[in-house]
Amino acid sequence: MIIYCKKLKIYLIVVSTLEKIRILGENGKYDICASTSSSRSESAPNLFGNSVNWIGSTISAGVCHSYAPDGRCISLFKVLFTNKCIYDCKYCFTNVCKKRVSFTPEEYARTFMKLYSMNVLEGLFISSGICGDADETTKQMLETVKLLRFKYNFRGYIHFKCLPGTSYYLLKEAVQLADRISVNLEAPTKEILAEIAEQKNYNTDIIKRQRWLKEIRNKHNTKARKIMDEQKDNQFPKQSKSEKNSQKIKIEEDEWTDEWGITRRSTGYKKIRWDGAPILNSGQTTQMVLGAGSETDFDILKRLDWAYREIDLRRGYFSAFTPIKGTPLERKQATPLEREHRLYQTDWLLRLYHFPIKEIKEILTVDENLPKGDPKLHLARNYFGENGKIDPNKATYKDLLRVPGIGLTSARRIIQLRRDNLIVKSRAQLHSIGVILKRADPFLRINGHVQKTLDVFKPI
Amino acid sequence: MIKNQKNYSRLFGFSKEEMLTNLPRHSQCNPNLLLKVQNTSESILKNNGSQFARKINRMLHEIFRELERNRQFTRTNLNNHGVLYGKITLSHQSEDQLLKYFHNRFPNCFICLFNTIKNETITMNEKAKIQKFQVSLNKFVQNISRNRPITPYFEDISMNNEEIFQEFYSSQFIASRENRKYFKKMIPKYAMEMPGMKGGVEYKFRNNQLDKYINKKN
Repeated sequence: MIIYCKKLKIYLIVVSTLEKIRILGENGKYDICASTSSSRSESAPNLFGNSVNWIGSTISAGVCHSYAPDGRCISLFKVLFTNKCIYDCKYCFTNVCKKRVSFTPEEYARTFMKLYSMNVLEGLFISSGICGDADETTKQMLETVKLLRFKYNFRGYIHFKCLPGTSYYLLKEAVQLADRISVNLEAPTKEILAEIAEQKNYNTDIIKRQRWLKEIRNKHNTKARKIMDEQKDNQFPKQSKSEKNSQKIKIEEDEWTDEWGITRRSTGYKKIRWDGAPILNSGQTTQMVLGAGSETDFDILKRLDWAYREIDLRRGYFSAFTPIKGTPLERKQATPLEREHRLYQTDWLLRLYHFPIKEIKEILTVDENLPKGDPKLHLARNYFGENGKIDPNKATYKDLLRVPGIGLTSARRIIQLRRDNLIVKSRAQLHSIGVILKRADPFLRINGHVQKTLDVFKPI
Repeated sequence: MIKNQKNYSRLFGFSKEEMLTNLPRHSQCNPNLLLKVQNTSESILKNNGSQFARKINRMLHEIFRELERNRQFTRTNLNNHGVLYGKITLSHQSEDQLLKYFHNRFPNCFICLFNTIKNETITMNEKAKIQKFQVSLNKFVQNISRNRPITPYFEDISMNNEEIFQEFYSSQFIASRENRKYFKKMIPKYAMEMPGMKGGVEYKFRNNQLDKYINKKN
């Protein structure tokens, strides 16, 4: 819409909110975040108290309010704050967008609240291009979050995207307002980032910010814990599920406590990931673009391993590169989605199954990429050998976890049943526990029986 | 002994305690069935080998599935008097759970949900008091709103927001990630009529199981 301004004697182009949502929604859709993530459980303290005036909830997660035609669920408001950006990253969609628009904080907050009242959204994912200066844009984004928190009394889930180069004091503010913060790594190493985003400084703009986030969170939480421990009336969160489970099954490991009082495994990963912290309950995450640079899968896994140890990363996200017309990389081949899938599978093995990265390295191909097929299957073949089979009634928890088709829950169930003197006697019992027999069969010996192979049917 | 039973109850599906508390919610539940459940041992109920156990577990899943679908697909409106209203499709008696879900989100609103199957309006006020009325939704909302003052806060965020969601929804599609199989599983037949789902959705992919939660004609 074009309006004539009498005072300034110029024509102004006014972009409607709907138009902004269309443009900035399209720009923001490539950002990845767990759309069904939740920040705290019912046992954890509510960040903003339990007043009746607050609107929203972070407890009941896992509700996808609608599904896009690409099959992805939509439950977070994922629209950029602005697509005006001083950077010209080679893979980025905002590079080719002709219309440059921005929301005002009030407009953004109000639009979100309108949608939240319709029950079509579960929370907010606020990200932006860098308009002028990282600090300036972050201030605007923070103003939006403040409006939501203190004007609209929204206490639901907010995922705040930290821009590269943001100042410490702004990060500190963001940590206190958001449920989750993420800084995009984009690439696993400095050299690869230079290939795709020349203007970003890997160490100072990104890694340093990630370290700050960890420091701010830990400092605040240790203080908060002390205060809450002193106040006997205020009970600190009850034991989380993971905490209870980790107590039930004591894994023989050398655990140690770091300077913040956090228990860590021998690998350096946090023992309890969902620690029920009063602020930034969902921790920090990151995202990497796959295939835009010349990175290998091992580079990515190494970086993730470092992030889980050093900055307490909650999890990493991968976005397979898609060439966009008009960008410098428009002729580059798109990364197959299978690569993304395999990396997510391996990340799962690193983060939750605690497979050492050394072992994962052994299954990689010559060019240091993951082989075709399920990485857990490759690891199991390596570990058990060709004819190695285990008895689920005698195997340790760690060994059970190595069998494809047996996950964390089913391994735990088997151990628990064994404690109650209940022994698995048939495949059907394993199936009822939740084991996927199709994958697990080749590695199991149940009651003396093993899966038959083609060799059995060979003529004598 | 009791402690052991409790620990181990979550190993396979629902515990007997959960069955007894939630089964009465099912529309086809009767006292005889509950008595039978009470007299059957937990190990038999948990083992899906028997027909009776299969029936009980199916009934429980039906209750929770319906509740979850209603949480997902209920589209609500908020007026400037602070009344949050919408249409639901609940055949089982889990209205209280659904109301609690909305009350948890909007504790300062009066919640009215019209059940299109039972033709009744269920409400929950700010103090979490549940009531049932045999009145149509529009009439009820008008009556309730009359007694409540206009609040600027609600005036700010209440409006016809369907257009906004429509625009947001259509902007989120990534063509290169199209997953027809998953889409087919998740998108119901009446998705085309839903706010925000017009266009971009291929009509031929349907999920009839989800239809009844979406098609709220009344």
